[in-house]
Amino acid sequence: MLRRKSSWPVEVLRYGTILLVILFFFFPIFWMVLTSFKPESAIMVSPPQFFFTPTLDNYAHALVDKNFLFYVKNTLIISVISTLIVVAFGSLAAYSFARFNVGDGHILFFILSTKMMPAIAVILPYFLIFRDLGKTAIGKSLHLGLDQHGALIVSYVMFNLPFAIWLLVSFFQDIPRELEHSARLDGLSRLQVLRKVTFPLAAPGIAVTAVFTLIFCWNEFLFAYILTRKAASTVTVGVESFFTLQGILWGPVAAAATIAVAPMLVFVLVMQRYMVRGLTFGAVRG
Amino acid sequence: MKKVFASASLIALFSGGAAFAQECTDPVPITWSTIAGFYTDAMASFVKSFEEKNCAKVTVVNIDNSQLYNKQVIEMVGQTGAYDVVTLETAEKAEFAENGFILPMTDFFKDKQDLLNDVSPTLRAMTVEYKGNVWGLPYYTYSAGMFIRQDLFDDPTEQAAFKAKYGYDLAPPTTWEQHRDQAEFFTRKKGDLLKGQPLEKDFYGVGLMAGPFPEIQDEMSAMIWGMGSDWLNADGKVPVDDVEKAMNEYLALMPFAPPAALTVTYDGVMNQMKDCQIAMTAGFFLDQWPNAVKTEESCPGAKMAAIEAPLKKAYVGGFLLAVSSSSANPDMAMKFVAHIGGPEIQKQFAELGGASTLTSVLTDPEFATPEKRATNGQYATLNQVFDSMAGFSSNLFKTPFGAKIYNTMQIPLQSAASGQITARQAAEQLAADVEKICGGPCPIAN
Amino acid sequence: MTTTWESPGSDVVPKPGRAGMSDRMFSILLIAPAMLVTLVFAILPLVQALDVSFRMGDLSRGKLGDYVGLENYRVVFADPAFWSAGLTTLKFTIVAVGLQMILGVGIAFLLHSATFGKGLTRSLLILPLATSAAVTGLFWRYLYDTQFGVINWVLGSFGLPEPNWLGDYTIALWSVVLFDIWQWTPFVALIALAGLQALPKEPFEAAELDGASRWRVLTTLTFPLLKPVLFLVLVLRTIDCVRLYDAVAVLTRGGPGTATETMTFYLYRTGLKLFRMDYASTMAVFFLYVMLVAAVFALTPLLKQFTDRAKES
Repeated sequence: MLRRKSSWPVEVLRYGTILLVILFFFFPIFWMVLTSFKPESAIMVSPPQFFFTPTLDNYAHALVDKNFLFYVKNTLIISVISTLIVVAFGSLAAYSFARFNVGDGHILFFILSTKMMPAIAVILPYFLIFRDLGKTAIGKSLHLGLDQHGALIVSYVMFNLPFAIWLLVSFFQDIPRELEHSARLDGLSRLQVLRKVTFPLAAPGIAVTAVFTLIFCWNEFLFAYILTRKAASTVTVGVESFFTLQGILWGPVAAAATIAVAPMLVFVLVMQRYMVRGLTFGAVRG
Repeated sequence: MKKVFASASLIALFSGGAAFAQECTDPVPITWSTIAGFYTDAMASFVKSFEEKNCAKVTVVNIDNSQLYNKQVIEMVGQTGAYDVVTLETAEKAEFAENGFILPMTDFFKDKQDLLNDVSPTLRAMTVEYKGNVWGLPYYTYSAGMFIRQDLFDDPTEQAAFKAKYGYDLAPPTTWEQHRDQAEFFTRKKGDLLKGQPLEKDFYGVGLMAGPFPEIQDEMSAMIWGMGSDWLNADGKVPVDDVEKAMNEYLALMPFAPPAALTVTYDGVMNQMKDCQIAMTAGFFLDQWPNAVKTEESCPGAKMAAIEAPLKKAYVGGFLLAVSSSSANPDMAMKFVAHIGGPEIQKQFAELGGASTLTSVLTDPEFATPEKRATNGQYATLNQVFDSMAGFSSNLFKTPFGAKIYNTMQIPLQSAASGQITARQAAEQLAADVEKICGGPCPIAN
Repeated sequence: MTTTWESPGSDVVPKPGRAGMSDRMFSILLIAPAMLVTLVFAILPLVQALDVSFRMGDLSRGKLGDYVGLENYRVVFADPAFWSAGLTTLKFTIVAVGLQMILGVGIAFLLHSATFGKGLTRSLLILPLATSAAVTGLFWRYLYDTQFGVINWVLGSFGLPEPNWLGDYTIALWSVVLFDIWQWTPFVALIALAGLQALPKEPFEAAELDGASRWRVLTTLTFPLLKPVLFLVLVLRTIDCVRLYDAVAVLTRGGPGTATETMTFYLYRTGLKLFRMDYASTMAVFFLYVMLVAAVFALTPLLKQFTDRAKES
């Protein structure tokens, strides 16, 4: 498709459009970051200010006064553990679906269909489940009670498994069976085959799945808001603590929001090669 | 768990009881769920003195105001006991009391009548009492008046122009008709003259809060109460004709408000004021005075004034502290309520610019000085509001469905404000919604 | 159903002493952890929702009440606000997903054909995807603001009309759509781009030799080859749009009035503001039912693809 050389008006149009696309997708984030460096007097003013004396006060307020890193720490713990579990459970299940067609599609349909469930519909039952779980011995040891990390981790595992399995099944299907055959003939057990042959080959796919799961967990709001109070609150909930009786503190909110999204932004930039490569879901096979 | 302190110096200042702290080996834990923000940050620092005096460990949970209600109800329904002291809106008290979410404090206050009597009587009727019992103590009042740009009303050019156009003198409004005229009068386009100077941006007569928040009903309360009616009549039904009339009064102001009126709440209006975009508010929360007065710095030549709303009726109420019935330490929780709502803390709170609920603080001459204008300049007006509305009460605060009605009623009102439905349709829809919430006419307690 | 279907791998297990585990057993063990989580945390709330949907359940008045048969279903189905929220969801989903697909695929082609700046564009494009709607939605509210927002300031300086993005009931829903487009078009674009880059070269070279027109190549080769992956994205985006909550909650709270009240937001208001768990559960059950029926149609081709491939090799 690149074969024909385009004339220069087409080229101008093409790069002009690309520039517009960049502007549209990047500007809101740029504006958020810019706002985080503005003094209060330069935020809610008309016309909008592009030039101002930058200040770090907002970051000081968010980090020192409000200890926003506390939320970042919670989010990190919860998202990373959730992602690890999702990837582990998801990979095993996806491999089973891909290789053994377990349940002949019915179980897979059931798991995928749980993605249809709106979180808001189950949030109160979840609240009650975790309230009761938190009182049991096992719940106590796994921190599954309300306002504990475990409750959010379990919720996130539940809500991210369908998508992860969905992604992973196609990756496992792309791995030639013959490789596993010969490995078994070499005397490896099933689990050894999985560990030494299949999973390493599926690594790019597993990486993509992990990236998306991590993003979704990091950015989740509703469960974090209902199931936590303070000790296990995540960044999306933490941002709301700047919505005060005197109104939204836009500067500190912008600083907190920047801190909240920065890790994921950096993360996707680092991982983007994997993401694009793995995103075909095995649906296009060249 | 980490507590949020406004500043270290405050802690040092109010932690005089170090001697007690040493004897306290097993502090009683209580948790207070409250609204995020500077005022509550200040409160958190006062918590320290309570902890030391009473051998307690207080955890403060800050929640966004718009989420406070459902977050607290969930914990109450789940009987988690997670929050010992809850923070309620005026309209929520009856619901929490009726459903057994909070404990009556009548006995607790038996020997503390002085404190109860110090709460402004108007406020006490709304926030403390329900069905003959005491349910809590208000610690912060958002009771409404109005903010105006006094400099505009004082300007001779504007006065003359107003008189020429409307036939009466330009002065702070005492009726909603005057308010509307003035809103119309001050609405100007970019380039027009205001106080003889050309405007750099469009200017509007009034800032309104018709956004998707439960504030349009606060503004309209001033109107519907002003006409001697109420959101609910004695039969527990919405008086459709009166609501329609109030709605029309409100709609008459809409053309003179910035377009953002349809998306903002009070902080948006304050931002517009500070950015020299509006001349006045409608019924507006007087606790925002420290915010409003900043206009004098950001907007050259501006002078702010807090006045009573037209017809001397406005949304009156406050946030009250009450004790959860699933609290494990109700005695300590009640002590805490009395501590925060009590005179010692209320005074310190006032010094930081908080809108206190106690008469002794509001009338303290110390806060009437010019030096205190930036933080407490609205106190005189607040006292007038309480005087004017003495003996007033709304059925909205006497039905256990008040909170749900309050949290739903903005929907038809906003629909009308945005022009999607008529005032009549809004009133009828409100009546239908309320009837659905109450399952018939709403029960009204006496 | 082939009850004794086994992977070809099974008959190459010559290892003595390890014959204990059949493929079937092994495959079941592999899905066990995921199934356990799903069973407990999907079925339990669902059972609870079903139960509550047949009972009186005003949570703020305490415990769940008596069984009332189908009364809740009658009330919910007779509620005009419920249907209007359904319609809003439908409108939102069709327009948002439609535009995201068109723009996403368009951007993918644009980037695929570009010779430089591709990496940078892709990097910037991916950013909205990594942010939380609950956080960036707030800044879109700021951008949309009629008094302080950048968008209307730009429009105003060009003398263009300045819409009341979130306050005008005729366009508020489309403003939420625009936000969703901002956040999710990159997802579609990236997947479509990945698809384009993975296309086999040979058929295109053959078509070029035959002198086929661009349009013909597009309709007979590119799109048919991309169809499976685009269909998958379509399904994923549709599910997310139908369940949309965060964007509405942060941008408009369903307002003005109920102009942007989607099904999930109405569910939220019923369940978590009015605490009518009976009505909320009924809606959730109905919602899930509709989604499942839709899923049978949407997922069957995808599942067939999965199972066919699982069987084929």
